[in-house]
Amino acid sequence: MKRCTLMTFLAVAAMNSAALAAEKSSVIEAPKSGIIPAATAIVIFVIVFAILSTMVWPKIIAGLDERNEKITGEIAAAEDARKQAKEALDEYEKNLADARAEAQKMLEETKTQQSALAAQLKASADAELSAMREKAISEIDAAKKQALNELYTESVNLATTMAGKILQRQVTAEDQQRLMDESLAEMKSVNS
Amino acid sequence: MMSNLTLASGDPVAHVINHPFIVNEGGWWIWSSAQTNLVLSGLILLFVGMFVAKAVQTGDESHGHKRWVTNSRFAHMVEVICGYLRESTVRPLLHERTERFMPFLWTIFFFILVNNLLGLIPLLDLHNIVAGQFAPEIVAQHKALIGGTATQSIYITAALSLLAGLMINWAGVRELGVGGYLKHLTADAPIFVWPIIIPIEIMGTFIKPIALAIRLFANMTAGHILVAVLLGFAADGFIDRGIIGLPVGIVSSGAVIAIYFLELFVAFLQAFVFMFLTTVFISLLAHHGDHEHDHAHEGATAHA
Repeated sequence: MKRCTLMTFLAVAAMNSAALAAEKSSVIEAPKSGIIPAATAIVIFVIVFAILSTMVWPKIIAGLDERNEKITGEIAAAEDARKQAKEALDEYEKNLADARAEAQKMLEETKTQQSALAAQLKASADAELSAMREKAISEIDAAKKQALNELYTESVNLATTMAGKILQRQVTAEDQQRLMDESLAEMKSVNS
Repeated sequence: MMSNLTLASGDPVAHVINHPFIVNEGGWWIWSSAQTNLVLSGLILLFVGMFVAKAVQTGDESHGHKRWVTNSRFAHMVEVICGYLRESTVRPLLHERTERFMPFLWTIFFFILVNNLLGLIPLLDLHNIVAGQFAPEIVAQHKALIGGTATQSIYITAALSLLAGLMINWAGVRELGVGGYLKHLTADAPIFVWPIIIPIEIMGTFIKPIALAIRLFANMTAGHILVAVLLGFAADGFIDRGIIGLPVGIVSSGAVIAIYFLELFVAFLQAFVFMFLTTVFISLLAHHGDHEHDHAHEGATAHA
């Protein structure tokens, strides 16, 4: 079967080859068949070239160039705008960072000032309180001493009077002074 | 059936090559199918070019931002191709001279492209079907008003290469001056090497456009003949409709579709290669003697 197919194929090819030989066609004809067509090709090409060069290509070149310039310009403008936006954003972020830093600094300064003021007020209050306490203590001591002195004096006087009545004699000023001194000395020794 | 007969009849090359329409007594082809294709391609380029130019150019200010938008998908596609050729292909080679040569390079690219694509439309077969009805003698005499691939003719690719060669050398003279242009023929070699170098450089001046012509011609011819052969197989197979003929027809039809897509790609590729190599050759003359010379040579060789 395969052999039959091959033979038929070769037969068909042979028929075509035979037809080719019978027609005597050639891909390159004699110069008489080609010179005028070649001249026609030159004439037509030159005419087409001339017309296209004056009426078509300049418009296409202009269109391509204008579009190219437009696109290039738009891209450049977009890049400029992006650059400006970036600069503005950078400046805004820088200002924001500065403002934040300044606010933080002010906050810290305020805290420091408040702490210092509080410490100062506390120290002042403590000093005043201490002075008031010391003054009160000294006044109490003074009052206590005065009260004790008055008490001793009164006690001596009373004791002197009682002693005079007991002794039935007049206690002189010297006796009284001596008794008072002795009593005071004794009281001091007891108190101490 | 008529189409199948048309495809199956004759040899595959006949579907690809140029056909005469008017031949004078001396045997000179006054008008041929390829010439009609050339005229058609020129008209297509002019009308499509006008339409694209109108769509691509910047609109009135009253349209606001929309004035910058190309209001046509097809025009946008052409604009993208133009932009790619200018910015990614030509400017890296020609730098500040890009604007000067771009109109020529765009024109040659689109001129070749349109002619390559016209070659993929079976205009000759359609012509034969119509002519077979109204003027059978034209088909019988193997004449055709339209069809084939203009860029398949070595004479037409040679004409386009001649224009490219003139542009390449004019650019060289303009860039280097007459003295500089003549000096580049020495390739800055020591004087005792000049007897070898100068003939080589002079030959190179002609070989470059010849290579352009042969490359385009060979690519268009080979691909289109392959498509025609496969279509012939498909037609033969479907006419035979036998146990062998039908599979051959089906397989050949599938193959021809695949090759057709390849040809579509080749149509763009060869137009690009022709334009690109023209650009490379223009740049070589400007930078002759620089280290870029070698890089450009490498690039040209790699792409060729």
